[in-house]
Amino acid sequence: MSEENQNPDLTDDEKRLFADLMPEDLKEIMDSGFNRRHFLKLMSIGGASVLAANLLGAEQVLARPLATEQAAATAAIENGVKLSFNINGASRSLTVDSRMTLLDTVRERLQLTGSKKGCDHGQCGACTVIIDGQRVLSCLTLAATCEGKKVTTIEGLANNNQLHPMQEAFIKHDGFQCGYCTPGQICSAVALLGEAKKGDASYVTSNIKQTGSAQQLSEDEIRERMSGNICRCGAYPNIVAAIMEVHSGKPVDQHFNFAG
Amino acid sequence: MEANQITGTPLNRIDGLLKVTGKAAYATDYPVKNLAYGYLFKSTVASGTITQIDDAVAKKAPGVITIITHLNAPKLNVKGGLRGGALLQGPEIKFNGQHIGIVVAETFEQARYAARLIKVQYSGDAQAKTDFEKLATQAVPAKEPEVRRGDVDSAMASAAVTVDEVYETPIEHHHPMEPHATIASWEGDKLTLYNSSQIVNGAQTSAAKTLNIAPENVRIITPYIGGGFGSKGGQWANLALAAVAAKMANRPVHLALSRQQMFNSVGLRQHNIQHLKLAATKEGKLLALGHQTTTHTAIDDEYTEPCGDCSKVLYAVPNALINYKVVPMNIIMPTYTRGPGKSTGSFALESAMDELAFKLQMDPIALRLANEPAQDPTTGKPWSSRKLVECLKEGAKAFGWHKRNPQPGKNIQGDYLIGHGVACGSYPARQRDSSAVIKLTNDNGKVQATVELAAADLGTGTYTILAQTAADGLGLPVAQVQIKIGDSDLPPAAGSVGSVGATSYANSVNDACSKITTELMMKSGKQFFVRPTAAQLMASERLSSFETRMDAKPLADADNYSAHSFNANFAEVWVNRHTGMVKVKRFLAVTAAGKILNPKTARSQIIGGNVWGIGMALTEESVIDPRWGNFITRSFADYHVPVNLDVGNLEAIFINEDDKHANKLGVKGIGEVGIVGVAGAIANAIFNATGKRVRELPITPDKLI
Amino acid sequence: MRPFKYTRATTLPSAIKELSGNAQSRILAGGTNLLDLMKEDVERPEALIDITHLPHSAVKSLSQGAAKSGVLLDALGKNSETANHLLIRSQYPMLSQAILAGASAQIRNMATNGGNLLQRTRCPYFYDVAMPCNKRTPGSGCGALEGFNRMHAVFGWSDKCIAVHPSDMAVALAALDAKVLAQNEAGQQRRLTFDEFFRLPGDAPEKDNNLQHGDLITGIELPASNFADHSYYAKVRDRSSYAFALVSVAAGLQLNGKQISDVRVAMGGVAHKPWRALTAEKMLKGKEATEANFKAAAKAEMAAAKPHEYNKFKIELGERAIALALTNALNYGS
Repeated sequence: MSEENQNPDLTDDEKRLFADLMPEDLKEIMDSGFNRRHFLKLMSIGGASVLAANLLGAEQVLARPLATEQAAATAAIENGVKLSFNINGASRSLTVDSRMTLLDTVRERLQLTGSKKGCDHGQCGACTVIIDGQRVLSCLTLAATCEGKKVTTIEGLANNNQLHPMQEAFIKHDGFQCGYCTPGQICSAVALLGEAKKGDASYVTSNIKQTGSAQQLSEDEIRERMSGNICRCGAYPNIVAAIMEVHSGKPVDQHFNFAG
Repeated sequence: MEANQITGTPLNRIDGLLKVTGKAAYATDYPVKNLAYGYLFKSTVASGTITQIDDAVAKKAPGVITIITHLNAPKLNVKGGLRGGALLQGPEIKFNGQHIGIVVAETFEQARYAARLIKVQYSGDAQAKTDFEKLATQAVPAKEPEVRRGDVDSAMASAAVTVDEVYETPIEHHHPMEPHATIASWEGDKLTLYNSSQIVNGAQTSAAKTLNIAPENVRIITPYIGGGFGSKGGQWANLALAAVAAKMANRPVHLALSRQQMFNSVGLRQHNIQHLKLAATKEGKLLALGHQTTTHTAIDDEYTEPCGDCSKVLYAVPNALINYKVVPMNIIMPTYTRGPGKSTGSFALESAMDELAFKLQMDPIALRLANEPAQDPTTGKPWSSRKLVECLKEGAKAFGWHKRNPQPGKNIQGDYLIGHGVACGSYPARQRDSSAVIKLTNDNGKVQATVELAAADLGTGTYTILAQTAADGLGLPVAQVQIKIGDSDLPPAAGSVGSVGATSYANSVNDACSKITTELMMKSGKQFFVRPTAAQLMASERLSSFETRMDAKPLADADNYSAHSFNANFAEVWVNRHTGMVKVKRFLAVTAAGKILNPKTARSQIIGGNVWGIGMALTEESVIDPRWGNFITRSFADYHVPVNLDVGNLEAIFINEDDKHANKLGVKGIGEVGIVGVAGAIANAIFNATGKRVRELPITPDKLI
Repeated sequence: MRPFKYTRATTLPSAIKELSGNAQSRILAGGTNLLDLMKEDVERPEALIDITHLPHSAVKSLSQGAAKSGVLLDALGKNSETANHLLIRSQYPMLSQAILAGASAQIRNMATNGGNLLQRTRCPYFYDVAMPCNKRTPGSGCGALEGFNRMHAVFGWSDKCIAVHPSDMAVALAALDAKVLAQNEAGQQRRLTFDEFFRLPGDAPEKDNNLQHGDLITGIELPASNFADHSYYAKVRDRSSYAFALVSVAAGLQLNGKQISDVRVAMGGVAHKPWRALTAEKMLKGKEATEANFKAAAKAEMAAAKPHEYNKFKIELGERAIALALTNALNYGS
């Protein structure tokens, strides 16, 4: 059974729903064969998803959320540090307790709860965000150290109502189950693409002395480079497939095998 | 599969968009106003009595709102259904890491720091029972029922070939990626608990009973759950303590366990010592099976992992003795952990079967095929369906089993010893009572459905399979079906535990679809040659809304059958002959689990279970220092959950099966069976690779050099 | 985590001045270990001096003209940048490999070269403030000595402490004879060999190294290496990635035909500091590079090991890892 022939045709209702979902992109999607098929998938998911998700509006899901600050009571801030940084394209200034991690700051103060606390000690990767292009752990980053930096969280990856290709690939390849590690996995995977382009090595790179060119990553290379993101549900093979698809630019087959 | 059915197709997860955008709201993602933060502090001794709690400094620390200990906590019902005690009801300490108090403060940083400032003194912990190796000899028969038929010992004495070995599995922890967390908020008498719960109504009633309030005053909200694996099935003290903290602070309180606190707060899979005896004829016909499990439980409550369950059903054997011994210890209460009993038990049974095959010079698959039972060997009931033979045969074909070298240690490539192993598994298929409400609306011809039930989706795919089931049942596109789950205000439903979730929920939704269609047909008063869909009826009757509720029950004769999912697992391992490090290069799980509602999410469930099995086989172990009874491996750096590189190519095959005896939809459940047999297959492959039979998990490098 | 004053330093000297002025202050660089320990209440500084943002992260060739004379790693260079720097990958591939064997991509993007050397032990008794630990609380005893000591030292331990140093990078640096550059308030630069820098636990396990409060690591100097063609970093661990070493070995060979003209072997996971396998090196120098010689040298090195109840396997594993690293250095290079 293959993925392609499993796409249910769109009903008029679905088209309408899709129009509600992505008004700007609809024409382009409908005009382009490749994109159409691609987006039909997203649509059949996205449509139901929005509905399933306790009625979050579509715009709310795909639009970049504003990082609105939840003001902290003044008594609640000790050794306050004034901080200005860019989060998901928006400038924000706030005063934080010197002890506050970037993770707790985005979650508890900026209402960006996509980044997750899985261990709070740099041992799981669920809190992975991208700072100035580098994937880092927000649980081991003091917010105070982010002065002037550009921070991207999972909420900042989609662009103009369009998911990042990595987000789409994770949906297609079912690169998650419970979804809790997913924001960290995706941020990590997005940064991994850049590292591979730079030609960065990993511990499983066979000839470390060979430098310079962009890396075409093997599955084991992706596995090693993603080993800082624990997925307890065990979606690893699907995560690797999703990343391979985006990294290689070629579709990775999905097999659903039945016998007997 | 019927034409145009969406059920059975690999529809992408309908909650996927929310999950990849960070919008799926887990317990502590709710923007509750005026939130205060709780932090638990815990005992540092394993038994004894608290003699003094000095919290004077902590009370004065900035931001502290209140400190709750047994000295000021309200009286709670310790038999209210929460597991593991630790409800701050007295000074007695029953295990190291028992909750002894909560600090509530303005911020997380302040609460955590203040908790560090509290000094606690204890007396009389000299008698703590913390050393399982020593206490195992004092174990007594457990409550878990014994299975006895014939005479194992006589059969062992006279059989041509026997295996008599002890297999040991360590304590494991569930470690869902989302540590247990709650936001508790009171409005008058009404309590809202945003809390990860595998059993929504169970969390509601146990919280209510423990807090001595009416269940209707407690609302559990848990639309997304960051994994559970059993640890969020029965709920633990932290749920009620969050409510207590919110009451005493007079504010909503956020209470999350730290990863370190997860080791002694929410149960564990206990350390099992399994004594296996197998007796067989020269031809490989099993004559006897003995399976005795010795384990530990909490000092004041008993749970025993049913390690003998697979031994009850997998093979035809005339003489059997399956029993349990247990010793109470000063360790937190054990609980259900993915594939409870079957995962660990099948490691022992299937390792022993492999040892037997080796002694018989018989192919391990042939040995299993030679002992296929016509009916349940323990209950004598007919199988609802059983396709284990197909699992083995199809798996052998797909895996290339015939290329395996039966002689261990002979398949060498460079630095690696390569081996192949097989092991089987099973898990009971059950349906539980579950209700569902379907609400249909018709807006100028656009019919939409809302399906409501207090089900849980902890990553299993509940949202998606229910949308598929309802779409087919109502004749609607899946995008016009809205699924509302994870809220105790919705109709009561079974839990996502023990592989009953999909079976119970999907059958209730399917029944509800049938019911609403029938009701609409009756309402129309017309005769139909072809049964119309609910969507068509809504349109033809020009109804703007219609709803019904179904209280679904298992089939009346379900108990007349023995219903299980079955699997056969095939592992290829590469063992580095210098370092002893093992890589699972290939793994194939062939599963017969009834009708598959969604092959994509089903495959994910299976490979996820396989990854758990890889962890059980190779990396996971929680270690207690008996001097203190505390966990030494109390972080993710010390407790090794498999990482991406630990996992090679995993393949899943489903055997076509439609089991109409198990339940109406013929669904058997796959969440648990995916881990069963995995550790056995890997251990057997390691034996094939190296000639070393490791009977003690996990198989770390030191055991292979 | 104890409340602390946060200061963003403007220059390295000002950071050192600030540091020297308060005995309870600490430098914040990558923070990957310090913050972790502060959350556990193991580290309890009252002031943090943030130097993360200071532009002191270069990898510089010290060569002048054609003469090879080594490389300087600035202290604030990130581990990932160092591992992927062309100079390091081409001339010190063993160091790249060792860095990449440690932690995760995210942590390597945060952790600094200087901080890597200052990592504290991962001994679980050290991490749990409810447990005795002489390193954390001098005089409280060693929980690991009679406890669960599977991960612990087999060389150079004392009855006060049997912890191991957790770094992979430092193992390769030890093999490469790297030197640590440190600066104090008076502006004095010190250049310490690894022997001078790291300590064995002895009677004062609370001290991981011989820096004084107020010293700041400014760089790591790598002498010119003749091992780039034949070197390897082998790491044995309980899972295939993102785990501390049971045993690791950095090995480098300089060959004259089949003969070993120079050799370096250092081990991780076996001692309170990166352990130079001097016995093995001595045995191998001048010998032919054969697997049999590697094994004999490995055996001789591990003969002096003194294991504990749960880590006896480290003797055999150490032998195997040394032989493997040398064999791979010989056959594949890094």
